[in-house]
Amino acid sequence: MGLRARLLRFAHARPRAFVITAPGSTRTRLFVEAELRRRGGRPVASPAAAAMLVVCGRPGADLMAAVHTVWEDMPGPRSLVRLDETASADDVAAGLDLAARELADVDAQWADARARRDRGPWSPAGEDDHMFGSAHHHSASSEPDHNDHGDHGGGHEHHMGAPMGLPMAGRAPDRDGLKLDVLHIPLGPALSDWPAGLVLDLTLQGDVIQAAEALTTGGSATGPPFWEEPWLRAAAGEPVTTGEAERRRAACHLDSVGRLLAVAGWDNAADQARVLRDRLISGEPGRDLAPRITGFTRRAGRSRVLRWMLRDVGVIDPELAERHQLTGPPARRLADASARLSGWLDEVGAAMERLDDPAPLRETEGPRGPVGGRPGAAVLALLPGLLDGAELAAARLTVASLDPGLDQIAVLSGTTDGRPGG
Amino acid sequence: MGGPVGDPTPVWAVVALPLVLAALTYSAAAMDSAFHSGGGFVAPLREGVRLVVQQRRRTLAPDALLARIGVISLPAAALLAATVIPLDGGSVWEPPVSVVWFNAMEVVAWGSLWLAGWGVNSAFPLIGGYRFVAQGLAYELPHMFALITAGLGAGSLDLTEVAAAQDGLWFAVWMPVAFAVYLLSAVAMTFWGPMSHPVADDAAGGVAAELSGPDRLLFFAGRLALLTVAAAAAVPLFLGGGAGPWLPGWAWSLIKTYAVLALLVWVRGGFPVLRMDRFMTAAWMVLIPATLLQALVVGIVVVN
Repeated sequence: MGLRARLLRFAHARPRAFVITAPGSTRTRLFVEAELRRRGGRPVASPAAAAMLVVCGRPGADLMAAVHTVWEDMPGPRSLVRLDETASADDVAAGLDLAARELADVDAQWADARARRDRGPWSPAGEDDHMFGSAHHHSASSEPDHNDHGDHGGGHEHHMGAPMGLPMAGRAPDRDGLKLDVLHIPLGPALSDWPAGLVLDLTLQGDVIQAAEALTTGGSATGPPFWEEPWLRAAAGEPVTTGEAERRRAACHLDSVGRLLAVAGWDNAADQARVLRDRLISGEPGRDLAPRITGFTRRAGRSRVLRWMLRDVGVIDPELAERHQLTGPPARRLADASARLSGWLDEVGAAMERLDDPAPLRETEGPRGPVGGRPGAAVLALLPGLLDGAELAAARLTVASLDPGLDQIAVLSGTTDGRPGG
Repeated sequence: MGGPVGDPTPVWAVVALPLVLAALTYSAAAMDSAFHSGGGFVAPLREGVRLVVQQRRRTLAPDALLARIGVISLPAAALLAATVIPLDGGSVWEPPVSVVWFNAMEVVAWGSLWLAGWGVNSAFPLIGGYRFVAQGLAYELPHMFALITAGLGAGSLDLTEVAAAQDGLWFAVWMPVAFAVYLLSAVAMTFWGPMSHPVADDAAGGVAAELSGPDRLLFFAGRLALLTVAAAAAVPLFLGGGAGPWLPGWAWSLIKTYAVLALLVWVRGGFPVLRMDRFMTAAWMVLIPATLLQALVVGIVVVN
């Protein structure tokens, strides 16, 4: 191994990965997050900060286009890891090992860099035709540098003689009666700490949302949604204990809490939530975990600063919930993001007390609402109204505090892009 | 205290300053990985090597010059601010108004973030730039009142004289509000920890979303260097400078700088990010009146 390869191996010993998850691949994502943590690395927020692109599950056509766009603009040395939704923990570890070797392979990295040196950065002219076919999916990418001119689908703001062939931002009156630039930015599907498969098409003035449209991109996962799995197995007649289901429920809520804390910028607590989540899933006995989980929920629940930041964010009133037939944890705490957080924390506490319950599972209320119903659909339906007039930061907190599970919708209903994924 | 006015700065001091700043900055990064992300003392070195060999990410139609200026000005401002901080009695450069110079260099960060956010022609960095402008409006006035209060207590805007004026009683003790506000604004000016909304992950890294390779390295090293300088300036401003028993002045300065730096680095783990649409009210309704009252109290004490 040459000096350069050794240097690269040293530099990439702690993997920095940008993770894109297709709907229905939660289990793979959890394996990836756990394996990254074991190696001292972590998922990062932007492809520019990453050396690895990890794709969990099999994306549908739209999500595949987003993956492709992200990969095209990722700076080298870089490595692509693709893991489908049935990948085991060993598969994930093997994938990351392979990526680490690829990152230290000087010749391969040089070849890659040379091959794309002349292609230049992304430009609207270089888009494939099929992108224009789906009018509402802009680039279907959350990749930032594509977003501020992401309106190439509609084309109604195109001016002749635009700089570099880019349409200029159009202007429209804002809520204060001023005329401000309008940007069209899709949030998702390739965005960190974001529900798999969700795309929000935003119309922004500054960082204030003037209009939002919620869409999903499909995946082609087989098998039941991970978080609902115990309930679905019980419904199919398999013997499942209440304790097993409650363990899954607590892990699901901790996953949601971790995501919300990460979006709120509290990495330390988010990491803690994810460690506890993974220990729950690995089947660690409840009596070992309970004190730690109690400590965590107390810490997260007591933070005044967190409550200050989440108060009055994404307020859902009973009338709105009624109209969209909201179910699950958000319907039990009809208020702001702060209330939804404490709802999750309380339910984690309650679930922990029933971890050893050997009674057969009878209830059908899953972690996100009635199993077999589609609780995510209601959240999708009420999101646009909820985000209207919110700032970008508040919008991200709102989405994270609802954490809609789109696995069922995006997988079961076929993909919204109408094509089976490849 | 430093030599008589007109004493030429020794050449070794000019050479040593960037090295000392770099060493302190590296230890800040190492402390961060020890406290938070794990990986210990070599973790920043790994990341540094990775970024040095990483390609630069290209965006469509960037204003590359502005973006570069934005990135480079951050470590440059930190180094220029460091020139006036007294380590062992004297500093590399002793302008009579070194407090003002320090403040001016720290305001360069406003330009850095805005230029870097604007220059790459991308939505999330632009939003990050907006966020820092709002943050500046929230922290800068309380910050300046805190600095002025220390200057008022000493009757001088020279950091060396401010340190000398704390003979026996540190300003941190009898100006606690000014000291607390100074620490808060040190975190804010370096968009660090709870004040890192301009580079927050919810906007895919904000200003830094498109930065890769050496750009990213300079940007984040510059931020830590600024944090280090802010910690070092707290020593002459509020913690009695190099004064202390047994050890020489430079040792005390270093120890105190490390203590403040460790506190600032540690604070990142304890809080979520403060959004300016919430924090602005607190900054203007609580921090500004509090710092003004503190200045008034100090003024009355000084006059008597």
